[in-house]
Amino acid sequence: MTGGEGRVVVTGIGAITPVGAGRETVWRRLLDGTCGTGPVQSFDTSGYNVHQGGEVHGFRPEEHVATLDPARLPRASQLAVAAARMALTDAGLETVSSPPERCGVAMGTTSGEPREVEVLDDDLVAERLDEAGAGFIARYPCHVIAGNVAAELGFAGVNAMIPTACAAGNYAIAYALDALRSGRAELMLAGGADCFSRITYTGFARLGAISPDVCRPFDRNRKGMIPGEGAAVLVLEPLERALGRGATVYAEVAGYGLTCDAHHMTAADPEGAGGARAMEKALAESGLRPEEVSYISAHGTGTPTNDRQETIAMKRVFGEAARRVPISSVKSMLGHTMGAASAIEAAVCALAIHTGRIPPTIHLEEPDPECDLDYVPGESRELPVEVAMNNAYAFGGNNASVIFRRLRDGKSAP
Amino acid sequence: MSAPTRPVVVTGVGLVSALGDSAPELWQALAAGRSGISEITAFDTAGLSCRRGGSIDGFDPRETLGQANFRPLDRTGRLATVAAARALDDSGHGGADRGDRTDHAGEAEIGLVLGTMFGSVHTISEFDRRALVAGPQYAKPLDFANSVINAAAGQAAIWHHLTGVNGTISGGTTAGVQAIAYGADLVAGGRVDAVLAGGAEELCFESFLGFDRGGLTAGADDEPAAAVPFHARRRGFLPAEGAALLMLESEAAARSRGARVLAQVRGHATAFDPSRGRDPERAAATVERVARWALDSAGVAAEDVALLSASASGSPSGDRSEARGVASALCGRARELPVTAVKALLGEALGASGAFQTVAALGSLARGTAPGISGLDATDEGFPLPLAGPDERPVDPAGVALVVAVGLDGNVSALVISGGEDLGSGSP
Repeated sequence: MTGGEGRVVVTGIGAITPVGAGRETVWRRLLDGTCGTGPVQSFDTSGYNVHQGGEVHGFRPEEHVATLDPARLPRASQLAVAAARMALTDAGLETVSSPPERCGVAMGTTSGEPREVEVLDDDLVAERLDEAGAGFIARYPCHVIAGNVAAELGFAGVNAMIPTACAAGNYAIAYALDALRSGRAELMLAGGADCFSRITYTGFARLGAISPDVCRPFDRNRKGMIPGEGAAVLVLEPLERALGRGATVYAEVAGYGLTCDAHHMTAADPEGAGGARAMEKALAESGLRPEEVSYISAHGTGTPTNDRQETIAMKRVFGEAARRVPISSVKSMLGHTMGAASAIEAAVCALAIHTGRIPPTIHLEEPDPECDLDYVPGESRELPVEVAMNNAYAFGGNNASVIFRRLRDGKSAP
Repeated sequence: MSAPTRPVVVTGVGLVSALGDSAPELWQALAAGRSGISEITAFDTAGLSCRRGGSIDGFDPRETLGQANFRPLDRTGRLATVAAARALDDSGHGGADRGDRTDHAGEAEIGLVLGTMFGSVHTISEFDRRALVAGPQYAKPLDFANSVINAAAGQAAIWHHLTGVNGTISGGTTAGVQAIAYGADLVAGGRVDAVLAGGAEELCFESFLGFDRGGLTAGADDEPAAAVPFHARRRGFLPAEGAALLMLESEAAARSRGARVLAQVRGHATAFDPSRGRDPERAAATVERVARWALDSAGVAAEDVALLSASASGSPSGDRSEARGVASALCGRARELPVTAVKALLGEALGASGAFQTVAALGSLARGTAPGISGLDATDEGFPLPLAGPDERPVDPAGVALVVAVGLDGNVSALVISGGEDLGSGSP
C-alpha cells in the first residue's frame, strides 16, 4: 500500500460534539481537557437513577443547512448534514468541482433517527391512532441520514448507510476508503452521527452501564459510560487529487481491519481475541509493525469490562510495545457519542498526526492495576505522531480498527 | 496500490420466505405463480387502508436450528440466523451445528453483511413503550441489545461463530443488493475468506403503519392489479418479510475446497438521486447510470444481458423510473429483454428484497427460463420494457442477469451476475 496509486487522504474535518463544533474549536477543547458531559436537558431523567449525558447544546442547524429545510430534518440528520458542510468548507471545497456522480457519502450510526420512533411511541401510548405514523417512513429509517447529506450537497454517487452501532464511524471510513481505491468515487464524505435519545439512555441505564457522575476511562473507580450525541464527517479523496488542488492533508488512511467476536451481544470477548484480530488486520494492510504505532485512540468507554478487555486486546497485539504507546479516550470528555464516536475519534487521529499533539484521558486519577498502560491522564501531550490507530467496538461483537499515518512530501511515513 | 481483486463466486444460498425455504422451492413457486401474500394476522390492521402483506406464518426457527433458547433473538434476528444456517449448510461450510463446536481451528473465517431497512423497529418501539407506560426501570435490557440496527447480524454471528467482518448496510429497499455488493468487494479485496451476504426484514406493525400512512402501500383489496409490478393500475406495494443470504467466496477458495460454484458476482454499482424520486427525469437517469456502471464494472455489454430481475413492486414512481432507466441503459436490447419481478408474489421485503431478486436470477440462469410477472396484463402506454405477463420467458444461461434495486427515496443499486459452471446441476 505504499505506491502512489490508490492512496487515500483526509483533507477535511467537520465535527459537532458536546464540547463544541468545528475542527478548530473541538480540537482546542479536547487538548484542553474540556468535559462536555453534564445533566441531561433533552428529557426528564427524574425516573432514572442516573442523570448525566453528553449533549450538544446550542446547535442551530439553520446556520449550516443550505439546500434542505433544516427544521424538517430529524436530529441526527441535522447533525450529520452540518458536520458534512463543515468538512467540505474545511477542505476548501465549498464548491465541489468533481461531477456529482463521482461524489459519495458513507455514514455510520447506532440508532439512526430514534426520536422518530419516540414520536410514534408517544402517539401509540396516548392512543392518537389517527396521527401515529405520519411522516415516519420519510424520517425514521436510518438511511435517511446518508440520504439527507447527499441531498443537501447534491452528491449523486455512492451512498451507503452502515448502522454497525458504536463502531459504525470506522466502518463508514473503511467503506469509503474502498470506494475511492476501487475508483467508484473520487470524493467521499465519511463519518457517523447519532442524536441523544431517551431510548438509548433508557437502554444503557437498564444495563447499569451509565456513570452517575463522569466518564473516567481506565480509572480504578470507573463507573461506566455517559451516552452522548454528535456527528463527525471526514473528506476523503485520492492523494493525487488532494495534491493536485493544493489541499491540506491531515493524514493518510493506511488500512483497516474488521472482525466479529461472535461471543455476546453487549459484552466483549474477555480475551480480546476479536479486537486483537482487527488491529492485526489493520496493521497488516498498512504494512506496519505494532511498534511503529505512535498513538492509539482507544474505544475507552469507561465501563469496567470494556476498558479491561480493551487493554488485554492491545497487549495481545503490541506485546511489550503496549507500554510505550500513548493511548487516550476522548470519551472521557465527550461521553459516548455512539455511531459518531469512532468518526470523531478518526478526526482525533488525523489531527494528532497533523498537529503533533495528543488529547488526554480526563478524570483518570487512580490507575487500575488491570489497566496499566499509558493512557495520557489529565493533560494533553506534545509528540510527533507518525501513525495513529483508531479502535472501536460495538454491540454485536463488532471490532473495527482504522490506521492513519502522516503524509510526508506526498509519500507516507516510513 | 489497490486491494487485490479476485473473482467472487456464490457457493450457497439460504433463505426464509413465504414461498419456500430453499432457492429451488422459491423459484418453483415463482414459476408456478403461487403468491406469498395473505391477510395479515400477526398484528391488528384495523384503521389501515392496507391489510395484506407477505408474512411468513408459522415460521419456527426450531425446525432449522433445533431446540435452543431463542429468547435473545427477535424476529429479524431469527430470520437472519435461520437463513445463515441454511446458506452455511448449502455451501458446505457447516450448517446449524457450526456454532456449537468449540474447536474452530483451521476453518475459514466467515463474515456476514446483512442488508436491512429497519433491523427490528418493533423491538425498539416495544422497548420504548414499555418504559413509557411502566417507567424506565421496567424496560427490558434484552430488548435493548436488539434495538441496535445491526443486532440481527450480531446474533447470527454469535449463533454460527462468524468471526469475520460483521457488517450491516441500510438503504431501504436497496439494502440487499448493496450488502451483496459490499460482501463481494470484501471477498475480492482479500479481507475475509468467505462472507454471507444478503438481507433480512421482518413484517411488523410499526413499519407497516408507517408505509400505510405514507401512502406507499397498495391500499385496500379492491383492485387486483394494485400491487402488480409495472401494471398500469398499480398503486403501491405490499410489505413483506423474509431473509436470504448468499455464501460468497473467492473462486480459488471455492475450487480448492471442491465447492459447487453456482454463480459469479461480476459487477455492481450504487448511486443516489438527490431529488429522491421527486424529479422523474433524474430518478430514471440515476437508474440508467447505475445499470450502465454495473455492466461496465462487469465488463459486459447491453447485448450480454439475459435477464432483468426487477425491483418493481407496484410503486407508481419507482417502477416507472426503473423501466425507463433500464430501457435507456440497455438501448435496443431492452426491446426483447426477459424481465422477472419477484415482488409480484413475495411482496416488498425491503432489505431482503434485493437478495430474493438475486436468488431468483440465479435460478433463472440455471434453468434457462425466468418466471413471468404474475398478474401483469396491462402496462402504461408507452412503457419501455416488453413485459410479457405471467408466462415464463426463455433466458440465455450464458448471459448475465442484471439485478436492479430502486429505493423509496433516492438510493439505486445494481448487481451483475453470471451463472457458474455447476449451475446446470439444478440446485439453486
